[in-house]
Amino acid sequence: MKIRNLSTLLVSAGLILGLATSASAADDGDKILHLGWGADIQTMDVHKTTDNYAVPLSIFDRLLEVQLNDDGSTELVNSIAKDYEISDDGLTYSFTLRDDVYFSDGTQLTAEDVEATFTRMFTLEDSVQTDFTTCIKGAQAILDGETDTLEGVHVTDDLHFEITLEEPFAGFLSVLATPTCCIMSKANLEEAGDDFGQVPEKTIGSGPYMVTEWIRNDSLTLVRNPKYWGEPASAAEVHYKVYPEAASLNMAFQNGDVDILDCEFLDTAIVESVYETAYADQMVNVNRLGTYYLSLNMGVEPMTDVKVRKAMQMAIDRQSILDSIFGGNGVLVDGIYPAGAIGFSEDNQGWLQYDPEGAKALLAEAGYPDGFDVELSVDSGSSQNRQNIYQIVQQNLQDVGINANIVNYDKSSWLAKRTSGEIPIYTSTWTLDYNDPSNIIDVFFSSAEGSKIRSINYQDQEIMTRVADAKKILDENERLAEYAALEKKIVEEDASWVPLFCLQHKFVVSDKIEKFVPHWAGYGDFNCANVVMK
Amino acid sequence: MKIVLKRLLSMIPVLLGVILLTFILLRVVPGNPVSILLGEHYNQETIERLTSYMNLDKSVLEQFLSYAAGILRGDLGVSYVMKKPVTDLIFQAFPYTVKLALLSAAIAWFIGLGAGIVAALKQNKLADHLFMGFSLAGVSVPIFMTALFLQYVFAFRIKVFPLSSDGSLISLVLPAIALGWNSAGSIARMTRSSLVDVMQADYIDTAKAKGVRHSAVIFGHALKNSLLPVITMMAMQLASMMSGAVITESIFSIPGIGRLATQAVQNRDMPLLQGTILFTTIIVIFGNLIADVLYGIIDPRIRRAV
Amino acid sequence: MQQAKAASEALSSGYQEQALAAGIGEANGPKEKIRKLFKQNKLAVVSAIVIVVIILLAILAPVISPYKEAQQDLTARLHGPSLSHLLGTDELGRDVLTRILYGARVSLVIGIIPSVISLLLGILLGLLSGYFGGWVDYLIMRIADVMLSFPSLLLSMAIMYTLGRYVNSIWCIFAALSLIGWAPVARVIRSQTLSFKETEYVEAARSIGVSRSSVMFRHILPNCTPSLIVLFTLNVPSCILSESTLSFLGIGVQPPAASWGLMVNQSKQFLFTSPWLALAPCLAIMLVVLAFNFLGDGLRDVLDPYLQDA
Repeated sequence: MKIRNLSTLLVSAGLILGLATSASAADDGDKILHLGWGADIQTMDVHKTTDNYAVPLSIFDRLLEVQLNDDGSTELVNSIAKDYEISDDGLTYSFTLRDDVYFSDGTQLTAEDVEATFTRMFTLEDSVQTDFTTCIKGAQAILDGETDTLEGVHVTDDLHFEITLEEPFAGFLSVLATPTCCIMSKANLEEAGDDFGQVPEKTIGSGPYMVTEWIRNDSLTLVRNPKYWGEPASAAEVHYKVYPEAASLNMAFQNGDVDILDCEFLDTAIVESVYETAYADQMVNVNRLGTYYLSLNMGVEPMTDVKVRKAMQMAIDRQSILDSIFGGNGVLVDGIYPAGAIGFSEDNQGWLQYDPEGAKALLAEAGYPDGFDVELSVDSGSSQNRQNIYQIVQQNLQDVGINANIVNYDKSSWLAKRTSGEIPIYTSTWTLDYNDPSNIIDVFFSSAEGSKIRSINYQDQEIMTRVADAKKILDENERLAEYAALEKKIVEEDASWVPLFCLQHKFVVSDKIEKFVPHWAGYGDFNCANVVMK
Repeated sequence: MKIVLKRLLSMIPVLLGVILLTFILLRVVPGNPVSILLGEHYNQETIERLTSYMNLDKSVLEQFLSYAAGILRGDLGVSYVMKKPVTDLIFQAFPYTVKLALLSAAIAWFIGLGAGIVAALKQNKLADHLFMGFSLAGVSVPIFMTALFLQYVFAFRIKVFPLSSDGSLISLVLPAIALGWNSAGSIARMTRSSLVDVMQADYIDTAKAKGVRHSAVIFGHALKNSLLPVITMMAMQLASMMSGAVITESIFSIPGIGRLATQAVQNRDMPLLQGTILFTTIIVIFGNLIADVLYGIIDPRIRRAV
Repeated sequence: MQQAKAASEALSSGYQEQALAAGIGEANGPKEKIRKLFKQNKLAVVSAIVIVVIILLAILAPVISPYKEAQQDLTARLHGPSLSHLLGTDELGRDVLTRILYGARVSLVIGIIPSVISLLLGILLGLLSGYFGGWVDYLIMRIADVMLSFPSLLLSMAIMYTLGRYVNSIWCIFAALSLIGWAPVARVIRSQTLSFKETEYVEAARSIGVSRSSVMFRHILPNCTPSLIVLFTLNVPSCILSESTLSFLGIGVQPPAASWGLMVNQSKQFLFTSPWLALAPCLAIMLVVLAFNFLGDGLRDVLDPYLQDA
């Protein structure tokens, strides 16, 4: 045993001397994009994940895409759908596919593949993408186990198909542009079975890249798809590497090992002191279409009292949280919809001011002149920035006499507690999947059950019904007016959460990057074809 | 041989206990893999469907029996969250851990034995304190600080080593130093104290009196006898290193067993957790067994105690 | 954890066992031993003084520091060392020195309490196991085996997750660290009990009708004291370090309270931009851990009967 280890030592000593110089040798032909992840993905199968979108975005196509323009505006553009028509009743969407779309194994993408994709979304037993796509006719019937064919998708011929909805839904085209609706290959799905999304060579898409290697907890490699119908991506290869420790990722970027650094992994102080100065012209900022909120559980005493909740809204110094934890990189919002998103209403802004004295008065009026005890439930797996919010909130509440106690939970316990509707106060953020007010308000306020599993426990049944019905309104102005009215009622009148702010999502790119366009909603994940290398 | 057989048999209740403990732990720990899988996007219906798909709605006994039946067939199940057979995941991660463990152990032994011997020879002198201080420094600092510091100095400031592991031996040098140095302290202490003990024993005096050279006394007689408890400790350290080092693996991005196991706990990934715990427990038990046998071979006086 | 485990393994092995058995009936009084310690090992004495000073500082924290532990000043974030903040401020503008002083309380308590509990638990189970033998011994030792071979980090994670929702995290840490710590102690005590049980001294006590518990606690236990002291001084630093590992995983002491381990963890991102933040608690940990180790070694040198024999 001893000799063996001695030789290991000698070998490694030799390696240190011999290989140290060759380690940095790079091949200069093809451009390789290096990216860093904080944690490994769990699957490449988008039907089995609700947040590992990076690979699906790069290796699959969607029928439509949302394009982020240089001025920050977004527009819905055709992707593999060449054309579409919507019936007058808003229920039937007729699509024509491009005729030059091929999967990386050489087979053509047809309407059959579209049908197979949507059917699988609902028939797959461990599918988690059964959220906003259930608006397709017959989806619910499959989930209820009544049938296994999807009534709402009808194949006319190879390049034509129709999608019928249960009820009119203005946001449906945006839904089709989400990662959820990546189009998969029917033949591949059947052949691969459980290996789909797990084994690189059995996960076949039509997107700009294909996966060639995936070592769990370590790295993943994408290579340009030679069969891709569109403009070939700039980088010939993309290497993802997992850096579980933020400090290491930080060094890796500065060492040149990583080309795009997602600042969300770092503390804002680092971003400010290191990157905003030395790398000022390499920063890429995008508005995150997501609202930070501080939930107030309406089912937990004494927050059942609207006066108490209003007092808490006034007690939180949102500007100082934004400034000190997030370097002021964002805007305060006073409602539900993210700034810049469809549904965001200027009329509902500006009413909420930091007013600790007013808060104290309201608390006294509600019968709590000496405050009360409440728990702040922290997900210890969330970012340091988010955990720091709790510490300031605790101080703010203390200032008006509310004794808030920080309790840490690990992610899984925290989620379980939230699902059971028991978390009194927590902070989180919801980022849009598709640009429509229903994508955020429905999640929290369209049903008692949905509100409970978010630990908000909103009670007003009439309002919840109106929220659920709003998406059926066909007239766009009328619909947005209804959404604005609902927002005013729920946040301003009922004080069911403390709206905090919308942030910018910052990235730093290395000097090898010519242009980088992040995801339109400000996700950390993006389609690697949107990176242009020098 | 009889002892080894007896020890092997006594492993069985321990393994059963470990399996049972794992099972109980996962039952009492709140949270479930479904919530992890769904993350921010979930609704009641999906939660219920997935719960029944993963058999999490079955009774504890049913789950335990089906798991036990699986083990007998050599099937450790499929990870809930990583969606891959547990055995595949373990065998993919283990080589990384083995490489790191061997290299770390080599470093720990080198620093530990070296410092321990010097310290014993210069007992209570400056050199004693310096060498012991150095070897103990590694274990006195939280290991992530040592690791980050090494990374900063030798991979960031002076780019001698790669920042993160790419599977090559050279990329494992820094993590091995961090981990090895961390384990060197206890070896050094053990070496020092047992060497001091042995050197004061009568037969060493006799050897000295007979005129045997000083270095020969140390290396020929004292060291040989004093190393017995040290070897036991080294074997056990190696075994525990083989069961993974979460922090070192995280900082240097090594996809080893340690990270797999912590992820399994964090995700409530029952099959994966049971698989990794079973695997590492067997390694630790075998490590201890080998240490004991080794001990018996080197020092026959102890055989009865084993 | 590993360190204490390994040390106890070696102590419990036959080699040391014989050594300890040989020292029974040692005549040296405690005063003499301490005198010997002072004479022989200056480092151990310095370590003892360091430990006492740190304990005093921890107790006197509110008197020494003009700031409160959790007092934020969002306008003074990440300031370097200055006259008003001798060790600077952290990411929420809290005074680092103050937090170190208060953190000393938490860290010392986390070091000492679980060590005491696991010592008591280990003594009890070890004595029972060694003295009664048979199925009691078998059961206790197999449970100890399970605890020793079960990955301790995973066990403490599970305990933290489970108890974390009911009680303050510091109690969970006590529970987790004690549950892991008792097994090595029990093994040592068991093997020493086994060897003392057969000595004439204990036989004599038994023959004149001294009760079982009395034999165990008054005749056998005192002979285990040297190794218990060594185990204790090794266990304290190992608990302090284990807590820092738990903090690394985000399940240690809860903010706004601070332990040194948590402070190092929260500041590791700032290691290269605001080094004082991480280095100060890190040096504090190092100082205490080294002090306990050197003291433990020193005590071992004078208390170990085998050494005195020579």
